[in-house]
Amino acid sequence: MRLIPIAVILFMAALAAPAQAVDLPSPGSAGLVEDANDWDGRSVRFTGEAIGESMMRGTMSWIHLNDDPYGLEETAGLSGFNSGIGVWIEAGLASGITVFGGYGSHGDVVEITGIFNAACPEHGGDMDIHADSLRIARAGHDTAHPIARSRMLAAAVMGALTIGLFLAYAMPRKRSVVEDGRKT
Amino acid sequence: MLLRPRAADLKVIGLYTGRIILGVGLLMAIPLATALIAAEWSAAVDFVIGMCACLAFGLIAELFCRSSREPTWTHGMVVAGFSWLAATAIGAIPHWLSGYYGSYLDAMFDMMSGYTTTGLILIQDLDHVSNGLNMWRHLLTYAGGQGIIVITLTFLVGSAKGSYPMYVGEGKDERLLPNVIHTARAIWLVSLVYLAVSTPVLWIIASANGQSAVRGFLHALWISMSGWSTGGFAPQSYNTYYYHSLAFETATVVVFVAGSMNFALHWAVWSGQRREIRRNIETVSFAITITVAMLVVTAGLMKLGVYPGFLAALRKIFYQVASGHTTTGYSTIYSRTFVRQWGPVAMLGITMAMAVGASACSTAGGFKGIRVGIAFKGLLLSIRRSIAPERARVVVKWHHLRTRVLDDGAVSSAMLIILCYLAIYGAGTLAGVLYGYPLAEALFDAVSAGSNSGLSCGLTSPGMPALMKVLYILEMWAGRLEFMAVFALAGYCVAIVRGR
Repeated sequence: MRLIPIAVILFMAALAAPAQAVDLPSPGSAGLVEDANDWDGRSVRFTGEAIGESMMRGTMSWIHLNDDPYGLEETAGLSGFNSGIGVWIEAGLASGITVFGGYGSHGDVVEITGIFNAACPEHGGDMDIHADSLRIARAGHDTAHPIARSRMLAAAVMGALTIGLFLAYAMPRKRSVVEDGRKT
Repeated sequence: MLLRPRAADLKVIGLYTGRIILGVGLLMAIPLATALIAAEWSAAVDFVIGMCACLAFGLIAELFCRSSREPTWTHGMVVAGFSWLAATAIGAIPHWLSGYYGSYLDAMFDMMSGYTTTGLILIQDLDHVSNGLNMWRHLLTYAGGQGIIVITLTFLVGSAKGSYPMYVGEGKDERLLPNVIHTARAIWLVSLVYLAVSTPVLWIIASANGQSAVRGFLHALWISMSGWSTGGFAPQSYNTYYYHSLAFETATVVVFVAGSMNFALHWAVWSGQRREIRRNIETVSFAITITVAMLVVTAGLMKLGVYPGFLAALRKIFYQVASGHTTTGYSTIYSRTFVRQWGPVAMLGITMAMAVGASACSTAGGFKGIRVGIAFKGLLLSIRRSIAPERARVVVKWHHLRTRVLDDGAVSSAMLIILCYLAIYGAGTLAGVLYGYPLAEALFDAVSAGSNSGLSCGLTSPGMPALMKVLYILEMWAGRLEFMAVFALAGYCVAIVRGR
């Protein structure tokens, strides 16, 4: 009989946990930077593309998540500067990220929850999030950079022009060197 | 009477400008090789096109501007002024082709920012750019720090005759050695030695920080290049905040402070004159002005209580102030943090530090310590003269490599250049305010551009008005060349139009 209330409590807790997670605010990097003092010390949810690499420091790790349109929407066009935030997280959790964004890849889009620090006392005043959970929201992938045919053509034309100019520059000079040689 | 330049004059200018562009083209071989090694074929094609454009320009100049005349002082100044604009316009081709810029003007902005070691950027989605383009961005700052004319003098110009005006026109007037080409080579020697030392040190720290061997090496190399040249470019959009490492920050401070010192001072210390560090007017001036800036910023931040403890505050304040004062532009805080957390007093402290800048004949910008020192001693001289008996001869001395007596000529020429800097800072600020930006922010970024610093409070962005981008490009250019070459070029243009 004693197990029933415990089971009820556990059931309620299981129901409450996701509800609490859903309720966490997601101000985004722009909101965090603009109103850093307001968000300082509060639990937040942050979603962004993992870029660069995971930099392990003992059992912990630094990752960087970009929540700009390049990261979240994978926009093909230009949408301004990158924006994101540094996240301090257990290395074990960070190891769940398999693809980091760079030239040849779009990184995993990651959702984390954690405490935002406007000036972290543990990290020399850095603005960061100390994360306690991580979920891969969307898997990363390789990105292709195909060479446009017009670009290849332009390179060939410019190359030919440069070689032609070099020959035009070098030939008379060569001749004059030979002539100078005969004179001496 | 204003004399119109003859065709022979224009040929000399064209020939030497062409050689400088040729040098820029040859420099592109390094990012091209990087792109090929990293199998970034699209980026490699961009560099082939850019390189060929530069080489073609240089060869056309060689073919059509053949001249055996040695450049005069005026030619040298005009070449210095014009070649930086031409190198920016043509060198921006790979930037533009990369697809990371909203317009060709934006690509030119970053190009000029790189050459002038400013560090302001308009590149978008930096976190996804190729290794080739990153190599080019950082190489630009490294080459620009030494001077693109210094490169040409080192590698492409065989004769020292007529080279000195070009060297001076690029904002350097110290002769480390009697021959100007030997001086240019000495500057490169100093720079390469520092690069050879700082890269492995930063690589070790990067590896300890958790970066892979290859990425750690590239980041170490790029940060060394950009740090030594007080350029402020970084391979990630987070700048040096990305590394979250006190050791990395400390190493970068050492690198960019060394880069901000006068090449003549480096040479003197290398030659055994260690006392010069303590006696030199520039190091003394730097020590005083950085202390004042630190105090102002600390006062501003203490009032707001931004940082949780003394050490955290000291770390953040010292890094941003040192970076601003040496006109580097590395930052461990977000651009908008200056506005949203640091507030106007701290921003003013950083603005003052950027305006003053570091040493003359270094990779840094701003008024320069030597001018601030001379202006201050000039003020002392005036005060002492006003209170001394009429017949008394008041003597004030200053020390830069040798001790000299301060004369009115030195004071007025220092003040003239400081006034020119104030004028460009003012023009940039006015433009910002007219476009609706708050005064503190407009001043911050305008001073950053004119002093070639590179710190931004968020005003500089791809969305800023095109006219402000043009104005900042001109500010960066004039500030880097220290005005003489700019005035010479302007005068030459007037002479072409209105001369007889």
